Amino acid sequence: MLNKLRLRLRALFFKPKMEDELQAELQFHIEREIEENIIRGMGPEEARYAAIRDFGGVERVKEESRDVRGIRLLEELRQDLRYGARMLFKQPGFTLIAVITLALGIGANTAIYSFIESVIMRPLPVREPQSLVVMKWRAKDFPAVAFKGFSTSTSGTYGNPEGGVVGSIFPYPALEVFRNKSSILTSAFCYFGAGRLNVTMGGESESVEAQYVSGEYFSGMGVIPVAGRLIISADDQAGATPVAILDYGYSKQRFGEAGSAVGQSIRINDKPFTIVGITPPEFFGADPGVVPAVYVPMHANLLLQPLLVHKVAEEQYLDRNFYWIEIMGRLKPHISLAQAQLALGLQFRNFVEESASNKAQLANVPELTILEGATGLDSLQHKYSRPLYILMAMAGLILLIACTNIANLLLLRSTARRREIALRLSIGASRLRVMRQLLTESLLLASIGGGLGLVFAFWAIRFLTLTFGVGRDGFTLRAGLNLHVLGVTAALSILTGVFFGLAPAIHATRGDLMRALQDDRALISLRGVRGALTRLNHTRILLAVQMALLILLLFAAGLFTRTLANLRSIELGFDRENVLLFSINPQAVGYEGPARNLLYKELREQLNHIHGVRSVSLSTRPLLSGSGTRAPVSVLGAPAPAAGSGASIPRAGLFRVGPAFFNTMRIPLIVGREFDGRDEGGASQVAVVNQRFVKTFGLDNAIGRKLSLGNSAYEIVGVVGDTLFLSLKETPQPMFYLPLPSAQPPGTVTYEVSTTTNPLNYVSALRQIVGQMDSRLAISDLKTQAAHIDQIISQEIVFSRVCMLFAALALMIACVGMYGTVALNVARRTSEIGIRMALGAQPNRIIWLALHEILVLGLVGVAIGGPLALVGSRFVQSFLFGVKPNDPLNILFTVLVLFAAAFIAGYLPARRASRIDPVAALRHE
Amino acid sequence: MKKTQTDLLQGTLDLLVLKTLQSGPAHGWDIAQRIQQVSRDVLRVGQGSLYPALHRLEAQGWIASEWGASENNRKAKYYKLTAAGRKQLSAETETWRLFTGAVELILKTS
Repeated sequence: MLNKLRLRLRALFFKPKMEDELQAELQFHIEREIEENIIRGMGPEEARYAAIRDFGGVERVKEESRDVRGIRLLEELRQDLRYGARMLFKQPGFTLIAVITLALGIGANTAIYSFIESVIMRPLPVREPQSLVVMKWRAKDFPAVAFKGFSTSTSGTYGNPEGGVVGSIFPYPALEVFRNKSSILTSAFCYFGAGRLNVTMGGESESVEAQYVSGEYFSGMGVIPVAGRLIISADDQAGATPVAILDYGYSKQRFGEAGSAVGQSIRINDKPFTIVGITPPEFFGADPGVVPAVYVPMHANLLLQPLLVHKVAEEQYLDRNFYWIEIMGRLKPHISLAQAQLALGLQFRNFVEESASNKAQLANVPELTILEGATGLDSLQHKYSRPLYILMAMAGLILLIACTNIANLLLLRSTARRREIALRLSIGASRLRVMRQLLTESLLLASIGGGLGLVFAFWAIRFLTLTFGVGRDGFTLRAGLNLHVLGVTAALSILTGVFFGLAPAIHATRGDLMRALQDDRALISLRGVRGALTRLNHTRILLAVQMALLILLLFAAGLFTRTLANLRSIELGFDRENVLLFSINPQAVGYEGPARNLLYKELREQLNHIHGVRSVSLSTRPLLSGSGTRAPVSVLGAPAPAAGSGASIPRAGLFRVGPAFFNTMRIPLIVGREFDGRDEGGASQVAVVNQRFVKTFGLDNAIGRKLSLGNSAYEIVGVVGDTLFLSLKETPQPMFYLPLPSAQPPGTVTYEVSTTTNPLNYVSALRQIVGQMDSRLAISDLKTQAAHIDQIISQEIVFSRVCMLFAALALMIACVGMYGTVALNVARRTSEIGIRMALGAQPNRIIWLALHEILVLGLVGVAIGGPLALVGSRFVQSFLFGVKPNDPLNILFTVLVLFAAAFIAGYLPARRASRIDPVAALRHE
Repeated sequence: MKKTQTDLLQGTLDLLVLKTLQSGPAHGWDIAQRIQQVSRDVLRVGQGSLYPALHRLEAQGWIASEWGASENNRKAKYYKLTAAGRKQLSAETETWRLFTGAVELILKTS
């Protein structure tokens, strides 16, 4: 009812006025009554008394009238808040410590949660993302029906943890199968990652991430262009006019204002395209892990990067056995995932069975699986979800430590407030009411901590984003403080407040409070012992819990720091310092075989001329790129070594390099020579092997022996030291190096430039030279070798840094707690200590007295936390390197740090205890 | 506290107040006097229940208040019946008649 609302609002905001009115109204009544009484014949004094007596309790009437207003709860809340704020201000030390520890705990959780939200939960910024679905398939093994091949794409196929294989790529005709089912899907569309394409505009070239999309991609996603138009089915035909769509951010970067890009012509891989539209700023495609700068129609693939699998390129769109595209769709309203799975699964099965040409293929056909597509592809999730969950667990632990700390402090503080609470209870406040007030105080504290925590989280997110994305081009983690995250933070603050405030509130309002009113020094009187003991036990338990949690964090920090140190000190086999890497893709701009050879040679020579460059070389890809070839090889005249795991011919790593590679990378040449000018252009069939190779094949004299690879033979001319090949964590394997092939030189190469000073000083000279050679050539992946390695271990770097930070935080918080406890303990036992000293106890004995409780609690903490840590560390085993989860050194370190901290935290107050003047202490009674 | 009794009393008091105000606006003291007089001193409204009742009726929108000058020119809070209050009055009167009629019937039969 509107009236009631109006009344409530008036009551809230015009309280003084309403009170005055109430007073005036009742006053008037009483005065009239007095008049009547005087008329009836009473004297003035008597009239007054009679009137007031008859009225019956002015305050009670007022209170009942107030009740009518209906805002009692709100009023009480306001009261509690003001009171709570006053209490907090009265004890600035406690408040400051509590707020800061809460802020750090809540802030850490908020920061990590915002990453989780952006990676795992945030839906795609398109129309109705909930009805989007992603098509995948499952099979026991790589399906034989795909005998024409798989192509690589961003997600491709991967092992299913439950066994078998999961794939996200389909043959092009499968799209028709889904498109035709209009009763289930309103649209089906596909895309294919182009990787990097060379884009030239206005004379400048660069290598950008691009994507092929089908005609219904944008309409199916429900995206509205911010300028121009988006790709439609008419564009997605063989022979259609080549059009391109630019990403908003990219177009802004290149053209200033986004709209001005529309209509411009650009060259992609040296083919002419016209920009017809720009995507909206928040759109980033279907995969949160990849942000294409350019979108082109599927059929433009024929123009730009024909996959060259079929004799006639257009066949790739018709071949039912060639798997390459990724498919998504949009469910019709009111169709469930299960229904779609049933209907489309059947269709797909028919399709696949028809594409099989023999029994063997039919035995292992892929089964369609439809997944929810609201959050897009899960490549980012795969990569980051586990580490994020682990970090979240640690942040949670810190918050827990902070909470137990504050609960402890509140418990101890409640002794000081016992008189106040007892008083309130005795004049009629219900226990619930007092508890409500105490809880409101806690919530106020938690809210302030939460607010400050948001500030801390903001910086933490920045820091983490920078560290996660070290050296990556186009890094896409978009964590931020959006509404969702803010809401979660608010809820967390409230929960925290209730968590640490409830137990102390309950405790403070129970028990023998009459005694509290009588005793002035409730702390040390014998009569308050029972309450005090309970309080003490609670404190002890909380402290022990804190120690256990601390153990967990210290343990984790130790493990991850060791892992990082181990990773950093891995013997690479080559020099990581002072080497600059970059890649070029001349094939994309039309260089054919012989032209490429010439270009590579030219460029290498030119780069060598730069002042300060020691040596230059090139290879098909950089070392430690994560992917590489292991080829079956044998040595003529030598017995085949025991091959691993049932392979018929042993495999060794194959790496193709240009001249001076080993010199450039400072890989030691043990014997013989490395590649040089005469081997360039495939003039001779030579090879270089590493020491491991020599050992594996048992060659006592490698030089001059012949290597057999397929149909060719290569003469070994040199032996070099072992290096890592594919990943940091591998054991060195046999490798053999060949010169770059002359007949079919690689379309993309990586150059290694070894410099005498900081490699970054040479970037501009480098760009100039490449630009002069051919302005269409784009330089990509430009970074130092050191940065490249850091990128590989970026996750471990972040982990160990964050863990160390968290452990340090937890240590600080726990130390403060321990300090406070020991200090209060000493205060509690001042008189006892005084007596002991008067009786002749040594200062050391007193220190031991004060400290031993903390140390005992530490032992309890170790007893609880230790096994928990050992069990928990199994979950992070896959993130460790060079340390076992139950590493004894780590255990020792953890326990030592804990006791050291306890000792240091407790020493100061303990020492003060030993300095107590016995006379003063006894007088303290 | 005997809830039912208070409820009954409350309901009856509301009815009496509304009826009293039907003859024109009045302040709290006046209302108490009128009820006492018209009922020939049978019903005496306790001030402890009168004012909360008045405030409750005002909160529900059946009466409206206004500050005015009293007989001897002092400031007093006057209440008057609203349109909704009029409706409520006839409804409650009806209910009361029904109720008392039913009770009468039962008392007659013994």
